[in-house]
Amino acid sequence: MNRVRILVAALLMVAMAGSAAFASGELNAYSIMPEKYASQVFEAFTAETGIKVNFMRFSSGEALARVVAEKNNPQVDVILGGPADTYEAGIGEGVFEAYRPAGADMIPEKFRSPDNYWTGIGIIPLVFLTNTNFLKEKGLEAPVSWNDLLDPAYKNGLQMADTRTSGTATERIYSLVKIWGEDEAFVYQKKLHKNIQMYTKSGAGGAMPIATGQAASGIFYIVDALDIQQQGYPVALTYPVEGVSYGIEGSGILKGAKNMENAKKYMDWVSSKAFAQFIVDKKINYIPTRTDVEVTNPALDLSKMKLIEVDVAWKGEKRKEYVERWINEVIK
Amino acid sequence: MNSKAPLSVPERVSPFKRDPALLPALAAVWVSLAVFVLYPVIRLFLVTFMAEGQLSFANLTAALSNWYDRQAFVNSLWLAAAVSAAGTLLGYVYAFAVTRIALPPWVKWLLGAVTILPLISPPFTSSIALTLSLGPNGILLKLLGVGNFNFYGFWGTWLSETLTYFPVAFMTLAAILSAVDPNLEDAALSLGASPGRVFRTVTLPLSIPGIANSVLLLFAGSLADFATPLVLAGHNFPVLPTQAYLQITGLYDLRGGAALSFLLLVPAMAVYVLQRFWVGKKSYVTISGKSGARSAFKSKGRLAEGLVTGVCFFVTAFILYLYSLILWGAMVKVWGVDNSLTLENFRYVFTHGRKAILDTLSVAAVATPLGGLLAVVVGYLSQRKKFFGNRAMEFFSLLNYALPGTVVGIAYIIAFNEKPLHITGTMTILVAAYMFRYSSAGIRAVIASLHQIDPSVEEASASLGASAARTFFRVTVPLVIPAVLMGMRYLFILSMTAISSTIFLVSVKWNLLTTRILECMTELQFAQACAFSVVLILLVFAATAVMAGLTRLAARRISGEGGRG
Repeated sequence: MNRVRILVAALLMVAMAGSAAFASGELNAYSIMPEKYASQVFEAFTAETGIKVNFMRFSSGEALARVVAEKNNPQVDVILGGPADTYEAGIGEGVFEAYRPAGADMIPEKFRSPDNYWTGIGIIPLVFLTNTNFLKEKGLEAPVSWNDLLDPAYKNGLQMADTRTSGTATERIYSLVKIWGEDEAFVYQKKLHKNIQMYTKSGAGGAMPIATGQAASGIFYIVDALDIQQQGYPVALTYPVEGVSYGIEGSGILKGAKNMENAKKYMDWVSSKAFAQFIVDKKINYIPTRTDVEVTNPALDLSKMKLIEVDVAWKGEKRKEYVERWINEVIK
Repeated sequence: MNSKAPLSVPERVSPFKRDPALLPALAAVWVSLAVFVLYPVIRLFLVTFMAEGQLSFANLTAALSNWYDRQAFVNSLWLAAAVSAAGTLLGYVYAFAVTRIALPPWVKWLLGAVTILPLISPPFTSSIALTLSLGPNGILLKLLGVGNFNFYGFWGTWLSETLTYFPVAFMTLAAILSAVDPNLEDAALSLGASPGRVFRTVTLPLSIPGIANSVLLLFAGSLADFATPLVLAGHNFPVLPTQAYLQITGLYDLRGGAALSFLLLVPAMAVYVLQRFWVGKKSYVTISGKSGARSAFKSKGRLAEGLVTGVCFFVTAFILYLYSLILWGAMVKVWGVDNSLTLENFRYVFTHGRKAILDTLSVAAVATPLGGLLAVVVGYLSQRKKFFGNRAMEFFSLLNYALPGTVVGIAYIIAFNEKPLHITGTMTILVAAYMFRYSSAGIRAVIASLHQIDPSVEEASASLGASAARTFFRVTVPLVIPAVLMGMRYLFILSMTAISSTIFLVSVKWNLLTTRILECMTELQFAQACAFSVVLILLVFAATAVMAGLTRLAARRISGEGGRG
């Protein structure tokens, strides 16, 4: 009998709640920026301000799903990184707190939320990533036009992101629509589909297969492509002559943040010149949104690529329509 | 024990009167199930299907009118059926080899150890090893001179899931087969039946509870698995859990994703009902308290034995090959480019991943014994005690397992992020999620092995004057202990390697190894992902070895006490 009681008590013990109490002098964050960059960024922030940071890394969709689910009782104060569209979607769910950071004046308006819900801290254009062994084997040059990817030599060789899950993929469609107009853009993708080996779930998912030679080429955000190159894989990065659009990497404060003062200090810091210089020095592959910092890596040199401007609000409006069209016209 | 069993069952009285511990035990189980299974699911159901105070299935009809989601539903069923059939078959072959063929002990140990590998590695890692081998330009394809075949899609997913889940079938079936008294088979053999006939008419029918459970577990497991299809299914072969996940994280549509997941419950329930019907009311009793000494294995026919060991050998070799790829990936600088050996990746794991390692171990260490306890109590109550709602109890205890992990994760955040039960960000939420999601294998195993134990054994104890609690601890528990330990091992492994629900439940305070591996994968740190996987595999191996040691100790104590009592 006694033992049964003990067992019952043990079972019930699990039901007991332990509530997490957050001390002050801390900052809790979700990072959509890769962990290896985020840890450096937060370390520098702690060194600068003495505020200790606890953080976790998630993909943009997971991070958003979490903050929406935690809306009534936010577990973190800020989000670092992640595409502006994610923030726009979050604004619709009412999870962000408006704050205009101290450095905002030095960041062009197109890189900020009009209502100050998020601030752009870096931009990332799309780029072609191609395995150079593959190019040698086929006697090809690295692609410099969107049409180069239609070459039958790439048959069953392209990996790029799936529109339904990845901001990289929708960015690709925005680029194409801005270059050729809606209908032409989908005609092109239908042709491109013939060379596709697989659409990956995450934006960077195809980069590793290209690095290891399992796939030939694909379209990625520069931050992922450069990372592969810097790891030493045989890959070439090229920009198409028709141009590419770019993503804005943002940061913002959550409504009801438990460490609001620290969160504001953090936002001031990521929009400061010191931060912009920091990511350039540390080879964190985003192009700073601030205009007063010089980029050293030629792959990140804005004058070497043709950038297409796409309004963030327009992206948000069109996203669903294009995704559905992509499902029903391209992959069906 | 060998004295005559009582001829008449004790008089029928209220089970509560006969067994005063029953009521508190029942209450405890129901309270825990209500809090950690029903409440979150109901909360999620309301979020999904309540629009402006009214019940609305618009989310579901929207999903069903979409050809892609309909396709995903059909694909999920096909995949789950194929995986559960192939996995159960392969598991049966392994279980048969280990329990029925006279193999040297070290071979049996090797088969057991190697089959744990797919279970204890996070699915992402083995999927990647498979892609590197059989995907486009894969190592094995080049080696064998085979051209590319369509790996992404059904075949890749099926292969990977079968390899991942067949160990579950193996564990379930080995427990069942080892409990089938070989004397029964010997009796049939000595009556002149051929080995094939004995297998068909004795061994196979007696293992039906195990087969049914294995089919159920694998079907539900595959149905809810999202990690493998995420890597391998590609765009041509959408499946429902992945679609649900994508709906939530890709299209920011929590309600739509949750609606798709609720759709998954329909086939999961159907299979559950089907297996109940199949196992039905037949008797599978082989432990009756009257068995004689166990005889040595008789040969089952050379051809059959050769075939069974051949299959085991081939699959074992293939698994070993896959995991040596991962080990290799963890030890070289840059895969395929710079093959010089380095320990840098492991250094990274033990510096950047130290907290994750400790957190993972603590969560698994707490969840495992609690889950084992849950398995015994639920299995015993639902199988042995007749009372109102015991079928429902069994069903609810499996509900979290049948739902895709991402949905359980989301449901848990919605339910437990505010008062009265604010446990997000704590260890409790992780422990509870694993306990109530992954005890299912233990519960199924306990139920299956109770099918085999003649209630007269327990009744004998009762009629000799032992209390119900004493009978439970001294008679029932020792008899089901192999099943419970199997379940606990499974729970431990899954607590260490689960990913789907974990994504939503880890917090800045509690970070786990699998999420670190997933991060490394998505951040293109292939070598670090491999190193994390290797460390995780070694940890689980070490921990299961410790558990096995403890088990033997416990078994000796129990049987010793039983002898005195």
